[in-house]
Amino acid sequence: MAAPRPGEPAQVELTHIELREVSKRFGSTQAVDCVDIVIRRGCIHALVGENGAGKSTVGKIIAGVHTADSGAVIVNGRPCRFRSPRQAFAAGITIITQELALVPDRTVADNVFLGVESTRWGFVARRDTRRRFEALVEHTGIPIDPDASVGSLGVAEQQRVEILRAAARRSEFVIMDEPTARLSAQERDQLHLLVRSLRDHQITVLFISHFLDEVLDLADDITVMRDGRVVRNTRPSSETTGSLVEAMIGRQLQGSFPSRPPRPDQSQDPVLSVRGLVTACSGGLTPTGLAGESASAETPLVAGLDLDVFPGEIVGIAGLVGSGRTEFVRCVYGADRPVAGDVQVAGGGASRLQPHGSIGAGVGLIPESRKEQGLLMERSLRENIALPHLRQITRAGLVARRSENDLVSASAAGAGVRGGGLETPVRLLSGGNQQKALFARWLTPGLRVLIADEPTRGVDVGSKRSIYDLIAAAAGGGLAVLLVSSELEELVGLCHRVLVMREGRFVAEFAHPDLDETQILRHSFGEEATAGRSS
Amino acid sequence: MTDAAALSRPSGAGRYLGVLARYGIVWITVALFVLLAVTTDGFLTGPNLRNVLDQQATLLIAASVATLTMIAGGFDVSISAVAVAAPLVALRVENATGSVAVALLAGCAFGLAVGATNGAIVAFARINSFITTLATSFIVFGIGYVVSGRSIMRPSSDSFRAIARTRVAELTTATWISLAVVLVAWITLAGTRFGRHVYATGGNAEAARLAGVRTRQIVVAVFALSGLAAGLAGVVAASRTISATPSDDFSFVFGVIAAIVVGGTSIAGGTGAVWRTLLGAFFIAFMVNGFNLHQIDPIWQRIIQGLVILAAVAADAWSRARRS
Ligand SMILES: Nc1ncnc2c1ncn2[C@@H]1O[C@H](COP(=O)(O)OP(=O)(O)OP(=O)(O)O)[C@@H](O)[C@H]1O
Ligand SMILES: [Mg+2]
Repeated sequence: MAAPRPGEPAQVELTHIELREVSKRFGSTQAVDCVDIVIRRGCIHALVGENGAGKSTVGKIIAGVHTADSGAVIVNGRPCRFRSPRQAFAAGITIITQELALVPDRTVADNVFLGVESTRWGFVARRDTRRRFEALVEHTGIPIDPDASVGSLGVAEQQRVEILRAAARRSEFVIMDEPTARLSAQERDQLHLLVRSLRDHQITVLFISHFLDEVLDLADDITVMRDGRVVRNTRPSSETTGSLVEAMIGRQLQGSFPSRPPRPDQSQDPVLSVRGLVTACSGGLTPTGLAGESASAETPLVAGLDLDVFPGEIVGIAGLVGSGRTEFVRCVYGADRPVAGDVQVAGGGASRLQPHGSIGAGVGLIPESRKEQGLLMERSLRENIALPHLRQITRAGLVARRSENDLVSASAAGAGVRGGGLETPVRLLSGGNQQKALFARWLTPGLRVLIADEPTRGVDVGSKRSIYDLIAAAAGGGLAVLLVSSELEELVGLCHRVLVMREGRFVAEFAHPDLDETQILRHSFGEEATAGRSS
Repeated sequence: MTDAAALSRPSGAGRYLGVLARYGIVWITVALFVLLAVTTDGFLTGPNLRNVLDQQATLLIAASVATLTMIAGGFDVSISAVAVAAPLVALRVENATGSVAVALLAGCAFGLAVGATNGAIVAFARINSFITTLATSFIVFGIGYVVSGRSIMRPSSDSFRAIARTRVAELTTATWISLAVVLVAWITLAGTRFGRHVYATGGNAEAARLAGVRTRQIVVAVFALSGLAAGLAGVVAASRTISATPSDDFSFVFGVIAAIVVGGTSIAGGTGAVWRTLLGAFFIAFMVNGFNLHQIDPIWQRIIQGLVILAAVAADAWSRARRS
């Protein structure tokens, strides 16, 4: 296999990176087991598999974050053994991880050129930096304000900063670990365009995703992994979502969604009722003052909303990112204080403004971001799941370990958390399993209302189906569910009723037999925007 | 995805190093103990070990409780000031009332009040805890001078010394008090709901709050407890020396933090344990005791002690980097 000479016309069939019998073990977990993958230059190569199958680990081995225990990584025909991401950078390889890695307090331009600054006598050369940035924007076609602070950007824009950064380092190989997991539908479309334009620039992309439609649409090659091994290397033309699922989980999936429990009787009393809710904050303040502070802009986001949710009902909230969905549910839960309005949980008595009060009244929240708002990364799975329920399992002032273990192991098994025992720190779990741990936390008896903000983010198709089964079963047993999701399919497939939010208001409502993705999307955008979005 | 991530290679030997680092303080404390027992005459004797225990009492009282503050993500430097001023308050009360019990209570109540104030400022005014407690330290040192009239204070009756210097089963009451405080702090942190909430608050305050932890109350509580313990430590120290002197001396809190950090509790919050602090304190104490028995120059003692603390913090940073 000859290394490509510079100046030589690109040959599509040239191998860019090859993994030969690569293995990696963490403690007792064989994360990657004798994997062979050939990645062609200038192609989009997708990597799919269940949660914990070893996809991220493969990406990290190529990027030098982990070093393989055995086997070879061959880059441009030369065996490489990267001992740090820096060495991989030098070989033209960049990874964009599941959790983005940017410096939030610095500007876009600072982040893009971090480590490769233009300097003059040791000082950063501003004018030169600006010129390089403009060249980069022109080259990649990613428009973004170089002076914006990265912390103020949304996920999609932060992702673009990472892509620009890869371009600034002249990377030829970009690994994207679940880049679309945290994006809305239209942001996803934009990212697809961007990934294709990277390919047009002869940049190879290793694309890890749980969205199989996206993978079939985008990829040139597909590798399916299961339990650390490669099940098969294949091409989209010879696969369907069904065949990929079967390869991933080793069995067929009968439909993506369970049958809906019967719609509850709306003449009874609602379990949750919201009246005239107005929010002012955008959340995310540190509550104790121990860490650094960041003041949030006081813009009213949600204006005077009413909502009733009945026991056993699954209510979806659709809307674009920034439409106020998250702010609304956070306020309902008591995570943020509303400016006005009232939230009542049946039998909950006095008004509640704090999460601990909500939990006491039987309300649980799965927050939008598992890392920032959900999990204690350093603590064990056991402690993370038990945290809101300690009152029930405290005997004579002490947490009863046996009751705790019973409670936690039932929940963890129910949610299908895998990849470690109860004492494993959650940071060692794969992304999807961390998300399942968050779900497991509320899989306890006594819950009356579950508020779930993107609960299946980063979860594989098989596990998604089990989570839907659990939600449907719990609703069948009387649990009220308030579901925020960017996946319209999920809302349409699971909910009794979907409310569409736009600019802080409910603009439309659809009920089960009439749920329709196009209709929901149209109302999310508003009429004018829809007309302009014909691509 | 920084250079730190490059270190995450727990393969082969790295795994054993991981276990070694995790319980490192246990091994090195045991090793030091055995080394001193074998090499140093006069180390492994009842009187010497009882003396070490007695000398560590005040530090252990303050440090075991301050461990909770540190794990909750706080940093309390006002321990020194409280430990200086609380016994002055206590002796003032003792001189006025003649009651040792009331004096002891007054000293502890003073510490509790200062700690609760610290906690309230940190939790509600959202000022960084190091800055907050640095500022209140100066105020409390000042209160010490005011209360004492700028001079050394002594108890009016001899019974004040009984607080620390009564012997029960060969050990001093100072030792017994410190062991009791360590035990209570240990059980509270490891076994109770409050302890879980302390870990959660320091590990990820926002996630903890959303899981129903009243993080502000936790912060107020840990600072209040730390103040209370510092007050008790100050009174016990005054009882040992049968006097209390106003000063601006910050050194006590440095010993406390050294014990916590050498034990392996992270200054970043969220992880740690009281047993670690116990071992950290005794590691340092054995080291100093060994130096003294070998009559090593105190100047060198300081330098070596500094290096040991650096090594402990570096080990913590290293093991943290491996996991990112
Ligand atoms: N640093 C680590 N220490 C210990 N175990 C690890 C570590 N990183 C990953 N693992 C384990 O290795 C296995 C593979 O993890 P990996 O993150 O590669 O999965 P994944 O395919 O990316 O899954 P997901 O779809 O959930 O992101 C999991 O069982 C995980 O728990
Ligand atoms: Mg992953």
